[in-house]
Amino acid sequence: MAVETKTEKDKDSASLYRPVFCRIVRISDLTPTEKLFRIEMPEGRDLNQKPGQFVQVSILGLGEAPISVSSSPTRRGYFELGVRNAGALTNALHQLKVGDEVGIRGPFGTFFDVEKFKGKDMLLISGGCGLAPMRSLIQYCEDRRGEFGKTFVIYGAKAPADVLYKDELEIWQGSDIFETHVTVDNIPQGTCYDGHVGLITTLIPPLEIEPEKSIAVVVGPPVMYRFVIMELKKKGIREEQIVVSLERYMKCGVGKCGHCTIEHLYCCLDGPVFWFNEISNLRGAI
Amino acid sequence: MKSLTITEIEQFLKSVEPEFDLRVPIRLHDGTRSLGGLNEGPLSLMGGKIPLKPTSVFFPQTERVFTRESDGEIKMEKPGEKPILVVGYTAEDADCLEFIDKFFSENFRDDLYFQKRDGSVIMVVSGKCGPDGGFLKIAGGKCDLELICDGERFIAQAYTEKGRQLEKKMKASKEVGDIDSLKKMSDELPDDDLKTIQKASELILAEKVPDAFWVEIGDRCIACTSCNYACPTCTCFEVYDRVHDGTTVRERMWDSCQLDGFMREASGHNPMGTEDIRTRRRIHHKLAADVTRWGHLTCYLCGRCDDACPTNIGIKSVSRMIVERYSQANEK
Amino acid sequence: MKKTLTTCPYCGTGCMYYLVSDENNKITGIEPTANHPVSKNWVCVKGWNSFHFVNHPDRLKVPQIRKNGKMEQATWNEALDHVIARLREIRDKYGNDSIMFFSSAKTTNEENYLMMKLARAVFKTNNVDHCARLCHASTVVGLATTFGSGAMTNSISCVDEADLIFVTGSNTTEQHPLIGTRILNAVQKGAKLIVADNRKIRLARHAVLHLKHKNGTDVALANAMMNVIIGEGLEDKEFVANRTENYENLKKTVEKYTPEYAAEITGLKPEEIIEAARMFAKAKKAMIIYSMGITQHSHGVDNVKSMANLVMLTGNLGKPGTGVNPLRGQNNVQGACDMGALPNVYSGYQKVTEENIRARFEKAWGVENLPSNVGYTVTTAINAAAEGKLKAIYIMGENPMMSDPDQNHVREALEKLEFLVVQDIFPTPTAKFAHVVLPASSYAEKDGTFTSTERRVQRVRKAIDPPGQSRSDWEILCDVAERMGYKQMKYKNPGEIMDEIASVTPIYGGISFDRIDQLGLQWPCPDKNHPGTPVLHVGKFTRGLGLFCAVEYKPSMELPDKEYPFCLSTGRCYFHFHTGTMTRRSRILDREERFPFVEINTSDAKNLGIRNREYIMVATRRGEVKAMARVTDGIVPGVIFMTFHFEEGPANLLTINALDPEAKIPEYKVCAAKVRKIS
Ligand SMILES: Cc1cc2nc3c(=O)[nH]c(=O)nc-3n(C[C@H](O)[C@H](O)[C@H](O)COP(=O)(O)OP(=O)(O)OC[C@H]3O[C@@H](n4cnc5c(N)ncnc54)[C@H](O)[C@@H]3O)c2cc1C
Ligand code: SF4
Ligand code: SF4
Ligand code: SF4
Ligand code: FES
Repeated sequence: MAVETKTEKDKDSASLYRPVFCRIVRISDLTPTEKLFRIEMPEGRDLNQKPGQFVQVSILGLGEAPISVSSSPTRRGYFELGVRNAGALTNALHQLKVGDEVGIRGPFGTFFDVEKFKGKDMLLISGGCGLAPMRSLIQYCEDRRGEFGKTFVIYGAKAPADVLYKDELEIWQGSDIFETHVTVDNIPQGTCYDGHVGLITTLIPPLEIEPEKSIAVVVGPPVMYRFVIMELKKKGIREEQIVVSLERYMKCGVGKCGHCTIEHLYCCLDGPVFWFNEISNLRGAI
Repeated sequence: MKSLTITEIEQFLKSVEPEFDLRVPIRLHDGTRSLGGLNEGPLSLMGGKIPLKPTSVFFPQTERVFTRESDGEIKMEKPGEKPILVVGYTAEDADCLEFIDKFFSENFRDDLYFQKRDGSVIMVVSGKCGPDGGFLKIAGGKCDLELICDGERFIAQAYTEKGRQLEKKMKASKEVGDIDSLKKMSDELPDDDLKTIQKASELILAEKVPDAFWVEIGDRCIACTSCNYACPTCTCFEVYDRVHDGTTVRERMWDSCQLDGFMREASGHNPMGTEDIRTRRRIHHKLAADVTRWGHLTCYLCGRCDDACPTNIGIKSVSRMIVERYSQANEK
Repeated sequence: MKKTLTTCPYCGTGCMYYLVSDENNKITGIEPTANHPVSKNWVCVKGWNSFHFVNHPDRLKVPQIRKNGKMEQATWNEALDHVIARLREIRDKYGNDSIMFFSSAKTTNEENYLMMKLARAVFKTNNVDHCARLCHASTVVGLATTFGSGAMTNSISCVDEADLIFVTGSNTTEQHPLIGTRILNAVQKGAKLIVADNRKIRLARHAVLHLKHKNGTDVALANAMMNVIIGEGLEDKEFVANRTENYENLKKTVEKYTPEYAAEITGLKPEEIIEAARMFAKAKKAMIIYSMGITQHSHGVDNVKSMANLVMLTGNLGKPGTGVNPLRGQNNVQGACDMGALPNVYSGYQKVTEENIRARFEKAWGVENLPSNVGYTVTTAINAAAEGKLKAIYIMGENPMMSDPDQNHVREALEKLEFLVVQDIFPTPTAKFAHVVLPASSYAEKDGTFTSTERRVQRVRKAIDPPGQSRSDWEILCDVAERMGYKQMKYKNPGEIMDEIASVTPIYGGISFDRIDQLGLQWPCPDKNHPGTPVLHVGKFTRGLGLFCAVEYKPSMELPDKEYPFCLSTGRCYFHFHTGTMTRRSRILDREERFPFVEINTSDAKNLGIRNREYIMVATRRGEVKAMARVTDGIVPGVIFMTFHFEEGPANLLTINALDPEAKIPEYKVCAAKVRKIS
């Protein structure tokens, strides 16, 4: 079947693959390997993302990388990206300065379906870099207090030096909106640290939750999911109450390049945010 | 009903050359058949499918996404000046194209693909002109115009308005042809291969194919990527930038799920980190995953992966093995 | 769109395909040919990506001259005048043999021929060699001695006909992928496969017998197999009697190599050796396929001779489905040898030491006093440069900084040179030492021929124009000759060069561009009507009788010890080629292997507390290199494996500069190493 001829031949600016240049307005160090970038769209536009979505960040000459938007859409006028220096492109991003431009495409992907979470108790569980996308949801809960029930922020990092968003974690710990628990896997010799030590899974059993009216959101490195979800199930939380956000190698972000597939799903299109029961029996999902 | 000789088809093609970017079946230097312009080699309508990925006309191995001179505007790739006219797809190729049209337009519309595809004209060649005198399935649609060979001449059948316009321009020395008997022959073509892959699909979806099978197949895959690069419904691509004298060029090029790096993340984590999983992926994708996603198989049995795989693990031969080994009837 | 039929620039398999190029002089992809006898419908992943480096921004586009320590752009006139002025000066001051020419297995036959002509006819030195020295010099010497012809005896298609295939020192599915797949297919159809290799390569998974003998013990293994064969009376008595000589000598030598004795040396079980011997001898048609695991040793020639002995003993020669089949690594390493880019022979292996041959070339080239002394090899040239005996090197398309053993030694040698010319397509690590850099064109930008491992001479065709001011190697060489005042090196096109080659090279006598337009021809092809020779030594060896060369096992130069407990073996991986100049500039190939790595056995890694993908230090007496650990059961304990593709983790900083006494090939496959964690 032939496709109809397009009448306006040059729909240049609307191209799927065209990045929009945006300005970095603030950079802060989160850890020795992670930085937070605050970015503004041209002409004061909003990104119009939903919590949990990601953008494709371009540095021309090096390519693109998918990065979750780390700030909540309730905070207007800018968006934030928390980026780990993991390779060629992210390293170059770390070298940029305030005032420099990056290319942005997006937002893409599924999001944390806050409408469905309304009135529920929330368990926001993240590990390592997973706090970056989770932060968009935490901030959302913060800004829309009252929309949700009791909200737990559970976070685990490898070591004290790897803890992301330390300042904000402190605020959340002090706030009456959240019950916040932070742990580190271990403490390297010679480090002072008086918080909780142990795997993130050890934080879950003591939580006082009402499983029927809870939603658990889990974001973290690949190894984390299986064990955290096991603990959640032990607490009576069912698969259809669990939301996960997954990572894959992504090139296009729009369901074309094929790098991010999980059986019949595209992580960039059908994800990165999934209800766990949608993917739990798909091979290679977690 | 126009019935054209090869010479008349060639004359027709010459007459539309000023309007179209022609991709017609030609013979290259060593006799290999390909799609190209009339100046690239003698027209070769007989012989069945063209070995190369036919959808490469719209989705080439490498293509430019955009360029940007230092600090200048991003310039997206412009469409070609003339629309593309393809002659020489088989009926299976037309099926494949129909699917990837859907794939590239669903959710997000891939403008790079449609830049070439929009306005293009597809002509299927079928009938008594297959390899070694074989009969090629008649498409009966899914293209703008079909040239059905009765052994000597090609009967033109237009299916769309564009097809009809072009048919008008064809000068035929004969205006009659027995299309019905050819259609009958087409309908009577064996469909064993289709049954085989359908059966294999059911077995895979029913989890009847054990992991050990994929290990055995994977052991023979040398990751040459030919199966993907030949398949008309394989659409995966890699994207990269290059900087030439200050001008950044972003390009995309075919990628292959048979490669370890295809899904390897920056951390080294790789959801498809072993070759048995990758070999499974290729077959599973067309016969199972896409069935779940799109509601149908996305292998249309063009036969290219079986020709292209140097170690005989194309989709037909793998499906045959699956059916032989794991279907109930054969299970002891 | 334009589609140009050409030959793959990577391995010696010699696949042909079409380069697809657009109106902007850019190659956009490749298309397999449906008709080629070797690559029908197929290419491997390197082939599919073989166009991608061509348009890389790093391509050299302008000649450069070093001025006050800095490289500066120059015109061709300036650069070439400078080259000849300096070479003249050095020649006049230090003599003809103070200049060396490195030819290249990456360039065409025509260019190799011209390089050796330039060296011999213009600069009057036999100092010309190329990287065959580093891969198959042992083959050329070993097989020339035993059979009289230093090349693959049979054709690639013979794999389909063999009943038994003995693969040793070749990771065929990775290094000659489309020969590897033939082996896999032969096994599917019932052929038996024996793999002798201590890495668990893909072929090993399909083998009936996988012999993991210790690196460098091939002679012991082969001798023991022959011991069993003779002991059990399984030899081909008729073949031995009618077609060979010196059998008694062999018989006496292998007597002591009982399976038990060899088992101790090789680390195999005696039964494994016996089994292999019986299977090999009893097969109706058995063939040996080998590659650098056999040749790259300080006793590489001995290894090759052993392979020849084994095949002669069992009569597996001179017919389809048999033979000794060295797989040549580079696309045109066979051709570069054929063209006489070697210090001892002219094209067609005609010896420079023979007066009548010299006289013929003097006549053909219109010169007098061609030198009669054998020149330096690639490896001895580096030694001579380090010692200050060699003053200038003209390098065409080679990268000794990355490819030669003991990088620090090479650096020292290159730094000592008074003059270095590097003619290449990319700024290689070697080019950093150059006084003049000349930008050359890639295989996609010129015409010519490559000769594949099965001696098939095939066409390379120009698909696009070279970038910037770069020029074909043959044009540059002709220009240099002309500037030197030599009149007989002017050609309109490479076809004319081939005509000259045919006129002075008996084995290429019948080859011309017309005849090889589509299919190629396998040499020997002595005249215009000869159909080419798929199988060598039918009925008679090139040298008459096959010569058994009895050899004793000799241990490698540097064996593991307390301080350096590992055996370091080096080679290539599937996705990269040699020094990575091209493949690391091809997106997909580069993505597949991005970091220098070292394979180490799981138990060794565990003992050292090394995790997969962790960066570790590998050290030998030559230096140390950082590489990513690849923890695997695919390699035996005690052995580690690295590739020499990575500039940032150069394996050849570690390797030992120990040479085979005859072939001067370095021992890349064995040296003593240690590894340590980086804390
Ligand atoms: C949905 C999603 C959300 C994410 N959110 C975040 C986030 O919020 N914060 C964060 O820090 N990270 C995030 N990541 C991870 C982040 O995308 C990766 O860390 C990043 O892509 C790494 O890119 P790099 O170029 O720096 O690393 P590299 O390792 O250099 O490159 C990544 C990949 O590109 C290929 N590649 C790169 N260079 C080359 C080359 N020269 N040649 C060939 N191939 C090459 C490799 O295959 C490699 O696997 C997210 C990922 C996903 C999928
Ligand atoms: S036969 Fe093979 S190449 Fe053709 S559509 Fe099916 S999977 Fe693709
Ligand atoms: S064509 Fe065959 S060998 Fe090549 S990647 Fe595909 S399955 Fe593997
Ligand atoms: S097998 Fe060798 S010659 Fe053939 S495509 Fe691969 S690298 Fe090229
Ligand atoms: S990132 Fe391209 S398909 Fe998902």
